[in-house]
Amino acid sequence: MLCRSDPITLRLVFDAFLGVQVALGFSFCYYIFLPDLPSLPRRPSALPSRSVAGRRNEPILAQSRMSRRYDSRTTIFSPEGRLYQVEYAMEAIGNAGAAIGILARDGVILVGEKKVTSKLLQTSRSTEKMYKIDDHLACAVAGIMSDANILINTARVQAQRYTFAYQEPMPVEQLVQSLCDTKQGYTQFGGLRPFGVSFLFAGWDKNYGFQLYMSDPSGNYSGWKAAAIGANNQAAQSMLKQDYKDDFTREEAVQLALKVLSKTMDSTSLTSEKLELAEIFVEPSGDVKYQVCKPELLEKLLVKHGVTQAATEST
Amino acid sequence: MECVFGLVGDGFALVAADTSAVHSILVHKSNEDKVMILDSHKLLGASGEAGDRVQFTEYIQKNVHLYEFRNGIPLTTAATANFTRGELALALRKNPYFVNILLAGYDKNIGPSLYYIDYIATLHKVDKGAFGYGSYFTLSMMDRHYKSGMSLEEAIDLVDKCIIEIRSRLVVAPPNFVIKIVDKDGAREYAWRESIKDAGVSAA
Amino acid sequence: MSIFEYNGSAVVAMVGKNCFAIASDRRLGVNLQTIATDFQRIFKIHDKLYIGLSGLATDVQTLYQRLIFRHKLYQLREERDMKPQTFASLVSALLYEKRFGPYFCMPVIAGLGDDDAPFICTMDCIGAKELAKDFVVSGTASESLYGACESMYKPNMEPEELFETISQALLSSVDRDCLSGWGGHVLLVTPTEVQERTLKGRMD
Repeated sequence: MLCRSDPITLRLVFDAFLGVQVALGFSFCYYIFLPDLPSLPRRPSALPSRSVAGRRNEPILAQSRMSRRYDSRTTIFSPEGRLYQVEYAMEAIGNAGAAIGILARDGVILVGEKKVTSKLLQTSRSTEKMYKIDDHLACAVAGIMSDANILINTARVQAQRYTFAYQEPMPVEQLVQSLCDTKQGYTQFGGLRPFGVSFLFAGWDKNYGFQLYMSDPSGNYSGWKAAAIGANNQAAQSMLKQDYKDDFTREEAVQLALKVLSKTMDSTSLTSEKLELAEIFVEPSGDVKYQVCKPELLEKLLVKHGVTQAATEST
Repeated sequence: MECVFGLVGDGFALVAADTSAVHSILVHKSNEDKVMILDSHKLLGASGEAGDRVQFTEYIQKNVHLYEFRNGIPLTTAATANFTRGELALALRKNPYFVNILLAGYDKNIGPSLYYIDYIATLHKVDKGAFGYGSYFTLSMMDRHYKSGMSLEEAIDLVDKCIIEIRSRLVVAPPNFVIKIVDKDGAREYAWRESIKDAGVSAA
Repeated sequence: MSIFEYNGSAVVAMVGKNCFAIASDRRLGVNLQTIATDFQRIFKIHDKLYIGLSGLATDVQTLYQRLIFRHKLYQLREERDMKPQTFASLVSALLYEKRFGPYFCMPVIAGLGDDDAPFICTMDCIGAKELAKDFVVSGTASESLYGACESMYKPNMEPEELFETISQALLSSVDRDCLSGWGGHVLLVTPTEVQERTLKGRMD
């Protein structure tokens, strides 16, 4: 709608931000994605002395990779027409815990692999990978958690803003679109790096029923019947393609997701400590419900579908 | 003295409005259409300050169209009503629009509905509503004769009763009225009730 | 006429034994004219927290929408519902934000807090909280409500008796106020269930 958060206003804000940068002589250190080491900016070995304080010059000596020239900023294309920063962001997600989403005829299920499973961990939140965006919408996350928190907060506020204006729940695709517009902004202007997160959005609305969407750091999204993000997502995706059927019930979808995850996960055995399962479905009363599976129930499901190995505790 | 009123019947909703454009003691024209067709299944009957009325209703119409173009699905009547109320509420403490609105619409799974939106952004879903001096007569008339699930003939009969009441009892009664309806087949003009015809001026 | 009396309203909340009741009238008017007789002034925030808003209807709706917005985000981030005391502070803060251009609303907040202890409070239009242990009132009929509640209230009433008391207090007060009435809407909340009932009083 004709409102304040359109790209033009966003652009003006970022241009103002850039203007501040110029005034201060580019002395801010850009946190940039570099290949192989997604977390720290790494000094190229042949960096000449800096002529402008803090400014990162292109290395003059011979480079091993052509892409080195074009990957330091999000705002330039490479000669092959690629945006390297965006691609490096997607690399970062390839190291994160996997998440799978499957659309069933009576609901959508999301399963995630928990990477952080120390006994010492004391989390305030009930889930690590699944987040509720609104009563009828949830998402699974793969990538840098701190980036994900920002985007999830943005998504929640966008959903509430829509409800404030129209007094009805935001349609799923519109929320995904709106969040992706935000992500796209970080690939085009402002000089800030893209978000290193991929999402699987699951939700229900009265226009199109149950839906599943996947979005990545570039700001692209598409609707899926089954999708996988995170570590080994290629393998998981091809397995899903083979075994997915259009009229799955939620139970069958859960079974497929657990089976695929058990094959693509690195660990030797699957326990409910390493997994999270969430479902979106419609209750008999007509309300949409987002439900996270309790660990005991999840353990039973793992045993039932025969995907847990080694001697686990008897249920 | 602008009169806008509307009611909900069996599978349809209708809005009737007077068609005089008045400035102090002068009647500019007697065929001003104050019931805007928002989209295929929505009507917006508005009364109030002339410039505000046209500006605001066109603004709402364009936003409703923009939503449909952007998202591929039309807004429901309830969402449109709440959006309209939100815009009025936002402007209220800055630069208020002095426009009273009756929004009528038909949604596939919900049926017909009518929303009363005050100029100070009070929203209420109603079965019958009216604005202006004419409301003193039309509301009472509808309280007496309205029942839910009226057929189109009965409803038009009631509307005619209301118009006769306005013409006979309101001192500066507007001479002409337009009636528009919205049902599952869409929003359209139903009839005019004219007692004075504008000489030789065609509507734009 | 004061802006608080433009639409007409009456809201009251009472504390019982491990329960509370909140009630409002149902009239929506524009000065002396009645527009609707089914206007909702009590809103649910979550299962154990309700807010009744009296005063100007447009601000009632705007304030309610803003509160739901804030509470929903709180619920998503904290993964729990807001306590009534916290919510009262939120309402107070929102109202004081508009200190020099206020919402013309007087909220009545009623909820079950920790250990299901009932909590009620009211505030003026700029957020000055008034916590009470027995009953709180607001609206155009507030003076009558104070009198009626003071005489009919007893501490530690069981839910059925509380319901009777609050209904009688509401109906007798709005009967003496021309701007509020047309029946009543009562919600009785205990730790296990919520009973919602509509009262029929003098329909004028």
